[in-house]
Formats: sequence, C-alpha cells, structure tokens
Amino acid sequence: MKAIQAEDPDALSQLYDRYNGILKALILRVIHNEAEADDLLQEIFMEIWNQAKNFSSQKGKPLGWMVTLARRRAIDGLRKKQAYARAEERLQNETEQQPDAWAHNTTEEEIVLSDTRDLIRKVIAGLPPAQQQAIDLAFFRGMSQREIAAKTNTPLGTVKTRLELGLKKIYDGLKELRGEL
Amino acid sequence: MSFKEFQNQSRLYVIGALEAEELEEFEKARKKFGKKAEDYIGECYGLHEAFALSLRPAKSSAAIKDRLMAMVRSRKEA
Repeated sequence: MKAIQAEDPDALSQLYDRYNGILKALILRVIHNEAEADDLLQEIFMEIWNQAKNFSSQKGKPLGWMVTLARRRAIDGLRKKQAYARAEERLQNETEQQPDAWAHNTTEEEIVLSDTRDLIRKVIAGLPPAQQQAIDLAFFRGMSQREIAAKTNTPLGTVKTRLELGLKKIYDGLKELRGEL
Repeated sequence: MSFKEFQNQSRLYVIGALEAEELEEFEKARKKFGKKAEDYIGECYGLHEAFALSLRPAKSSAAIKDRLMAMVRSRKEA
C-alpha cells in the first residue's frame, strides 16, 4: 500500500493480481451480473488508486479497507441501477432453488483455498440457516433490519436476534484467526 | 448502554444493519466509551474481510486489468 500511496502503478498491478478474485466475488455476490461486476471491479481499483492516501495501516489491514470500499460501491451500484429489480428476481430464484446458498460455498470438493478461508467458511456454515440468511441479506444486500424482516416475513425482533447471535458467533470464531487475517 | 451492549451493536454497525434510532444511541455510546469503542469497532471490521474470504474467488476478464492499468498510467503521465 505504501508503494501505491507513492503512485507506483506496478504496485497497483500486484495488488490487483492478489485481490481481484476476492473483490470480484464480493461484487458478484451483491449485484449478480458478470459484466456489471467487471466494470465495477475496474472502478473500485481506480478508487483504491485514487483513495490510497486515505488508507492508514493503524486502522486496519489493506484487504479490510478494500473490502469495505468494494462492498459500499457494489451496494450503491445495486441501489442506483435498474439491475436491482433483476438481481432481486435472480436472488429470489436462487434462494428458492438453493435455500442454503451461502453454505453451498463450503462443500468439501470446493474447499481448495487456504486454511484461513476454510476455517472462516466452517464458522459461517456452522450458523443456523436463518442466521446465515439474515447476515447474508444485511452484508451482501445492504438491507436494514426492517427490510430483512419484510423480505423474510419475520418479526423485527427476531431478525435483530438472529443478526446479533450470528455475528457474535462469527466474531468469536474469528478471534482465533485474527492473526492470520 | 453498557459496553457489552455496545459490542453487540458494533457488530451490527459495521455491516450497516443498525436502524436510525439505534444509530443515534450507538453514536452516543461511542463517544462515551472513546478509544475503547474505536478499537472495538476496528476489530469488528475484520468481519468484512471474513465475509469476503468466505466466497470463492471469481475470475475477471484480463481486459479489465489492461484497461485499469492504461487509465492509471495515462493519469499519472497527465
């Protein structure tokens, strides 16, 4: 990040090679459209380049900063574009076909990544499906508690409890991994 | 709000799930707890990394990187 802050394009190239797959997956998870995800990925890396001077290693790690930025851009993009309605429809279809979509990412044959990823997936997959769903809608769809309650036809208090319990379990599970993230 | 309640709210805050009325109370507590609160919120942002890492990396077109680097280099030269 220091080299990017010093405006070294080669450093951005390396950063792109290292993290584009993670950020693209995040964007795709939000907007569910390959072409739009590619465009947004490019815009996000441009923003990383432009905003690098605002990054402070004291406040966190580069990946966390980039993920926060990418998520905000992806959710903003989702809300602005008419793609929102289309993505909603696709999400609905995916949810109907595959109720445990997030856990789908954790099947044994798909775990080919690092131990850290493996452990994170296991922590998330260990949550009850209702907690996974609430967190999924909040984090990847940018929904408020009220929106989640309306979408899932669940009392607001129940949504809040699901989010609190689920996030606490993930947070606690990540404590052991904190040094690796 | 106790610090334990603040911790619960912090996890909701970092994923943007606090409702407006909760956000007001949260910000008051954040001021009250000061640095301890800021440090905890910082830790909670680790959830963002975790959620991103929980996904399978996706491939992007090589043209994206080419376009990005061309833009960056042309802006640097300008």
